[in-house]
Amino acid sequence: MAQVVSEQKRPAAGFRLTDLIWILGVVALLIGATGMLDRLRFGLAPAAIGSYVPWGLWVSFYDYLVWLEVGSLLLFSGLVYLAHNESLAKIKPLVLFTGFVVLLMALILVAMDLGHFERFWHVYVYADFDSMITWMVWLHTAYLILLAAELFLALRGTGKGLLKVLGIVSLPLGLMLILVSGSIFGVVAARPLWNTSNLPLMFFISALASGASLLLLLVTVFWADKQSEEYTRLTQRLAQIAGWLMLGGTFIAGVLAFTILYQGGGNPQRAAALQLILAGPFWWSFWIVHIGLGVIVPVVIYFVFYKNRWLLMLGAALSVITFVAVTLNIVIPVLVTPELEGLAEAYQHQKLSLDYVPNLNEWLVVTFVFGFGALLYGLGLRFLPVLPKRAQE
Amino acid sequence: MAEQEKLTPHSTASGAVSRRNFLGALAAAGAVAAFEQLAANPQAVLAAYEEQIVQGTLGQGRSSADLKALDVLERMRLELLRALQKPASERRWVMVIDLRKCIGCHACTIGCVAENKLPPGVVYRPVIEEEFGTYPNVARRFIPRPCMQCENPPCVPVCPVNATYTNAEGIVEMDYERCIGCRYCLTACPYSARVSDFGFTYTEELPVIQGLLGTATADDYERAPNFEYGKQYARQGRASPVGNARKCHFCQHRILEGVLPACVTTCIGRATFFGDANDPESLVAELIARPNVLRLREELGTEPRVYYLK
Repeated sequence: MAQVVSEQKRPAAGFRLTDLIWILGVVALLIGATGMLDRLRFGLAPAAIGSYVPWGLWVSFYDYLVWLEVGSLLLFSGLVYLAHNESLAKIKPLVLFTGFVVLLMALILVAMDLGHFERFWHVYVYADFDSMITWMVWLHTAYLILLAAELFLALRGTGKGLLKVLGIVSLPLGLMLILVSGSIFGVVAARPLWNTSNLPLMFFISALASGASLLLLLVTVFWADKQSEEYTRLTQRLAQIAGWLMLGGTFIAGVLAFTILYQGGGNPQRAAALQLILAGPFWWSFWIVHIGLGVIVPVVIYFVFYKNRWLLMLGAALSVITFVAVTLNIVIPVLVTPELEGLAEAYQHQKLSLDYVPNLNEWLVVTFVFGFGALLYGLGLRFLPVLPKRAQE
Repeated sequence: MAEQEKLTPHSTASGAVSRRNFLGALAAAGAVAAFEQLAANPQAVLAAYEEQIVQGTLGQGRSSADLKALDVLERMRLELLRALQKPASERRWVMVIDLRKCIGCHACTIGCVAENKLPPGVVYRPVIEEEFGTYPNVARRFIPRPCMQCENPPCVPVCPVNATYTNAEGIVEMDYERCIGCRYCLTACPYSARVSDFGFTYTEELPVIQGLLGTATADDYERAPNFEYGKQYARQGRASPVGNARKCHFCQHRILEGVLPACVTTCIGRATFFGDANDPESLVAELIARPNVLRLREELGTEPRVYYLK
């Protein structure tokens, strides 16, 4: 008993890290506050987005966060409830809490992107189910409620049967959510590079790949006993899943890119948008950030250096962080490709331009939202029973 | 008779007067007579004119040949009034733009801005300037780009709150109070014909100079309400239409009052035509039946109601 008490008094695994997280959160909140205040005071005017590039940094980060949130929860529920992975089940509260915080961050960020966010309730009252955004909002709401219920039960440690049912229900719900988030872009016939049935599927694979790396990161950072065989087995399995998903996704994307670029693929506008990703001014965000740091380095670590705990953590962190380069490259290059040549020069205004580079205001709002998320996450880790306990406890 | 004699240039070289020229001369003679009446007693003439509009009798009794002899603006206005006599669902408004006549003066753009009191960064009808060919065979072309008022508008189904829809006359409308400003419709429009109102004003950062017309007066002007969709939208704070998607609506508020869209009346080259394509006698029905007619990005199946004459 005395040993148990001492174990409880002893700082839990990751204690210092949790403090660091919420302190960093406060700093980010303070830094981002000016941008957020400008956003609230002046609307979307200070942001770099305009009428010809109507979506930018915030929508890209929203999709990135949705990938992380839904991808990690889908994979987690699949492995735990369908593949019966008992080891992974031990970090259920941590995974659910992480997903919940990321979901809140995503929703705040996308709300900031609305011209009238105070009217968000219109999507419930005047819903048009022909619109993919309607489905997105309704599914996200359902997912938020489901996740909150799962988290509540997991933190209380009760209702295991119900928790399992909710976890299984979250599988089709999460699958629909990620496919719908891809369809938001996929159904837009005006934008040829988006307008393909492959895009929702690419969203699905990308979400699973980034989600797998997030799960791996959570395990490598917060698992209580990193010397145990269970830890080694779990991390190796997650690394393999993440690695194969990334390789598979990259292979499919490469094949698609070839068919689009070959002789213009019959659609110059589509080819131009893809050329912009591969060889435009921000080529480095694709080749160096995504392919280099986000795929090659993590995959090499996952398959070659998987026994090194620190390298594994580094690989997972790199993969999780750099996946935002994918959503940025999906959203922005397509929108900066002109629909009608010469239109951007026809009437001059900063909001009628095809030149889009995220500005300070947009980055500050993102910083604020990440600060909010980090503060909530750090405090949650500190005060809620979400961290895994040692095996002997 | 004296007026008819003045109009001999309408006669053919042989001295015989063709039917078309004869009717044109008659119409012109009527126009001169009407002008003299107007000069003598303008209020009575305008009152009678308005009465004809109210009664729906303006233009009645004139044959299509008579109308063809008129200036296209006058003809289109009479055809507009005739179309307004029909139920809305039987009208099909279309716009025709003759690219050979457009001189790229941007008067339509500015006319639209003034009519709808558009703030900085919001434009419904920009004119694209295109240069093509290789020296020495180079040419320029001007392409005004209003909203295409598509029969299959891609911007409508993507709206999550039904804030945009096609009305009975085929015009794609906006409900500013319902729009949440997600800008999905902006991404979905293949013509980039929708813009977002980011809340800019022309006068916000201007200095106040005593003795001149002054910022206050200019400010009052730009904050005066427009009349889009038959409502009044004064520019106040962040209230709609700030934060909303905005678009050309063929000046529906003018059409319903029997007035042609601002871009049509301000076009100095008479390059923009407007009317009811369901009326086989109308000018626009005539124009869109020509072999040199085209529509932008037809391959997308949007069925635009804006036609271009090449």
